[in-house]
Amino acid sequence: MPAVPLERRRLGARFASCVLAVASLAGCATKPPASDPQALADYRAANDPLEPTNRFFYGVNFTLDRYTFKPVAQAYVYVVPRPVRVSVHNLLVNIGQPVTLFNSILEGKPRRAGDTLVRFAVNSTVGIGGLFDVAKGLGYKQVDADGGLTLASYGIAPGPYLFLPVLGPSNPRNATGFALDIALSPYTYVPRGYGLLTFNWAIYGLGAIDGRSLVLHELDELNATALDPYATIRSAYQQSDRSRLRALEADQRSTPPDWYSR
Amino acid sequence: MPQMMIRRGLGRLALALSLATVLGRTAQADPATSAAFVHTLGDRLVAVVNESAPAAQKRDQLRPIIDQNIAVDDIARFCLGRYYPTATPAQQQQYVELFHTVLLNSIVGHLGSYRGVSFRVGRATAQADGDHVETTIFRPGESPTDVEWVIAPGTPKVVDVVAEGTSLRQTQRGDYTSYLDRHGGSVPTLIAALTRQVSHFQPG
Repeated sequence: MPAVPLERRRLGARFASCVLAVASLAGCATKPPASDPQALADYRAANDPLEPTNRFFYGVNFTLDRYTFKPVAQAYVYVVPRPVRVSVHNLLVNIGQPVTLFNSILEGKPRRAGDTLVRFAVNSTVGIGGLFDVAKGLGYKQVDADGGLTLASYGIAPGPYLFLPVLGPSNPRNATGFALDIALSPYTYVPRGYGLLTFNWAIYGLGAIDGRSLVLHELDELNATALDPYATIRSAYQQSDRSRLRALEADQRSTPPDWYSR
Repeated sequence: MPQMMIRRGLGRLALALSLATVLGRTAQADPATSAAFVHTLGDRLVAVVNESAPAAQKRDQLRPIIDQNIAVDDIARFCLGRYYPTATPAQQQQYVELFHTVLLNSIVGHLGSYRGVSFRVGRATAQADGDHVETTIFRPGESPTDVEWVIAPGTPKVVDVVAEGTSLRQTQRGDYTSYLDRHGGSVPTLIAALTRQVSHFQPG
């Protein structure tokens, strides 16, 4: 093996010490000793070696939520009547359909891609820009597809649990998937102009409030009843992640719909 | 796929019936029986929930239904995970009793404040940990939720509820074991926390 040049070795050492410094600042969870196999099994199942850092960001998020997102979402629910809120949600879902479509194609699920295309076409026209979910009445249910799920369908392991600021529960694979979704979204590629920038921010903001308003009751209940809300959210997120992948793999419907074969 | 499932189901049924004749005991629960059980249990729960009675009264009526049809003790033991054997028998009993109340409060919290709740029973499949019965619950003003009931083989009792892909038993276990990890494995501390929680519960 050729000798590594001195400079490369120094750089390598410097990089390694940087990583170690960041990791020690970040705080890794203490792994139970091998003499306690049950504790070790629980530790492995939780898959959260960065727990102290995650708990820190969870605290930041919780405080941020208490003073910004939650009051705004509560006001939104109080002021805006339910049918309008449902329409806003439908609109946001419809705007996100291109990403769902591309992810379904990448997942190798042409039936799901087809359903998404029909939903997008029908809801944008008959549903007036996506305000009304007409396609659901026709039997086309919303397809669950995002970057994280697409990467999971390729067999990529999720990696350790991460609680990201603002974005919330995640893991390295799903965070990469989130970036993938931004890359797949057609709105990212339209030339920048003041109008589009405002549109993008409005959609993100409205999406955040809409999303928050849908889980107001559940999150309140979670914080009231869970002894460790952080761990409860972690467990629920990891299970939901696995169950979405199972649901995707279980969807073995034929590509041509029934009416086509008749 | 359906042929495999039918064959598997028939295989299990055949095994169960042969066991029953040999041992003279009642046959193991099969998916159809579990589905019927969930249907009956659901009807009873919904009947109580849909009454126009005060929340406290509904709670008292729900308690016996839950205790008879849900394996609460088993779930309680499961939720404490590796810490259950470390508790004294007195602590274990205290914990299980508290868990009964916590579970009741949780169900009342999810269903009790609604009126006009209905549900539909879907597919029932036999799996390794029991029979999984899919249901959809319709609450007024909310979108339908998919809830899967896991019925233990043998006595028809609910051992787990899977709401939108999340097992409530697993989530609760994660909660309690994580709490105990951060409090030095002290079961009395957990019992005190649960007691506080139960005293703060406001029905309805």
